[in-house]
Amino acid sequence: MKVRTDIVRMYKDIHGWVGIISGLALFVAFYAGAITMFEEPLQRWASPPSRLAAPVPLERTPELIRAVLAEHPEAGRGYQVNLQTGRENPARVSWQMADRGADEHGARRTFYAALDTDGRLQVEERGPSPVAQFVDVLHQQVGLMLDHEIAMPIMGAIALLYAIALVSGVIVLLPSLVKDLFALRSGKNVKRMWLDVHNLLGVFSLPFHIVMALTAVVFAFHDQFYDAQEASFAYTEERPAVAAAGRMIPAEPASPAAVVASLSREVPGFVPVALAYGKGRDSAPSLRAMGRDARYGLRGPTYTVAALDPASGTVKDTDYLGGRQDGWGSTVTSFFALHFGSFGGVGVRWAYFLLGLGGAFLFYTGNLLWVESRRRRERKVGTVKQTRSTRVLGALTVGVPLGCMAGISVTVAAAKPLGAGATEGMHSLIYHAVFAGFVFWGLLRGSARGALELLPAAALAMACIPLATMLFISAHPAEVILVDLVAGASAMGLMAAWTGTRRRVCAGPRDSVWSDRKAAARKGLS
Amino acid sequence: MSAPLLTSRDWLGKASAGLILGFVLALGLSGLLAWAIGVSDTFFSTKGQLAMWSMSPVWCLVLSLCFLFRSGLRAWTMLALASAVVWAGVYATGMLA
Repeated sequence: MKVRTDIVRMYKDIHGWVGIISGLALFVAFYAGAITMFEEPLQRWASPPSRLAAPVPLERTPELIRAVLAEHPEAGRGYQVNLQTGRENPARVSWQMADRGADEHGARRTFYAALDTDGRLQVEERGPSPVAQFVDVLHQQVGLMLDHEIAMPIMGAIALLYAIALVSGVIVLLPSLVKDLFALRSGKNVKRMWLDVHNLLGVFSLPFHIVMALTAVVFAFHDQFYDAQEASFAYTEERPAVAAAGRMIPAEPASPAAVVASLSREVPGFVPVALAYGKGRDSAPSLRAMGRDARYGLRGPTYTVAALDPASGTVKDTDYLGGRQDGWGSTVTSFFALHFGSFGGVGVRWAYFLLGLGGAFLFYTGNLLWVESRRRRERKVGTVKQTRSTRVLGALTVGVPLGCMAGISVTVAAAKPLGAGATEGMHSLIYHAVFAGFVFWGLLRGSARGALELLPAAALAMACIPLATMLFISAHPAEVILVDLVAGASAMGLMAAWTGTRRRVCAGPRDSVWSDRKAAARKGLS
Repeated sequence: MSAPLLTSRDWLGKASAGLILGFVLALGLSGLLAWAIGVSDTFFSTKGQLAMWSMSPVWCLVLSLCFLFRSGLRAWTMLALASAVVWAGVYATGMLA
């Protein structure tokens, strides 16, 4: 396709700049996002066995709820009955309390309840591992662990830059699309090879990236969008407040067992995983069923929601209930499901996992290209000394991705020694210590030497995951071994990358940021 | 071709027009969409959510393509004109608060 050359050149500049500004943040978002595809299995892997007694059978749940409400009346504002229990969900009944002054996204404390063998109430604040949740937040805030209110507009700005990068990238590629698409020229010209990889990845995952950019803009700015619409258009009704304190649940709501029976009659195929008893907007009792249906996309990352009549358990609101929605509801649900990969079962989750990693790699190759093209321009004017911006960017391109991968690995592995006392804050601290260490080391040593030293370190961090499983196997019996296998394979992949990098550092073109011939001579490797 | 060549030099003027007026345009169009599909009383309905979601692609497209205007000034003028037309439509439908 023909595009005017000045337009192509203009968009090439724009693509480079928006890419270089947003690329590293997007790497973190996509790498962490790929891992959130397996948030539930990861939480099962990371959660230690609970000290609570085994969950009571569903039929005895009302007894447990009565005991909870007698001792903890504040739970009456809203509690959850977990229909599927396990390491990641140890208690039949749990409830949350917002910390004082916390808003919709603020910190919450969760309590877990069980009945011991004598029928006495046990309440425990030590729940399943928060590490999967931490990775999810890292993903949502593109690696910026700032206050949610500050991080979200920054994430939104990154998402807008990402959208511009997609459009400009397509425009730049259009004229040579047919010629370049299936080409992967792995010859002497390394930049050409990286460009081919970048184009190949970009074009074939373009629909995925369009979905992610458009949904991320909404996730960042939905409050502002709603506020602007409310201010502009002839609607006065506000969005419902999230936590309206009020009186306790008055009437006896339907028992969990009755609700489950009613659901299986009314919506066969829908598998409820939890029931949330609580308060609606006017502090009237409310009941929501969380669950999934393999035939339909889900409104959330792991489940969808249906509002039920608390007295009878019959379905009241089918807006997000697959198969019972109208066109508007299923359209809106599809936007969420397309972002979360919460449709089509485990196959789609693996596909999204690979697309997410592919996306992260796309941004990494973009950064490499920026560094490489800078380098060539410099050579034309006769200097081979790299400018500071190229050196810093090259170092960051090594330090940030490897730091992110290593930080997530170490903080996930730390779930085992930390045990039930782990908090999101501890996991955040561990992640950031490792991440900052890698970035600092990369800047200190430069991209070539930094990569040589940080790649084995990242592989070691990755290997910490199966090592932690083996070391703490007595206190924390292994579960979901697949996590260990994938981490082990990734560690080996990083070692393979190290071998390749070493070859290039020692024998590759001397004017490259990837060259360190002096080191090679010192070590007698060349 | 007689049109002057486009460069990335005038990016700030164009991008600011795309960012600000792109939002204004997206907001106006979402109002027209809300009117067309009959969003009734609350934006928390599924129709209302759809109208909210529609802002994202419009804003992203305007922001991405605003660089095709000849200059920053032209971007501001044309997008302001388009916004005026859309918001006149919003007024005509009686959607304006």
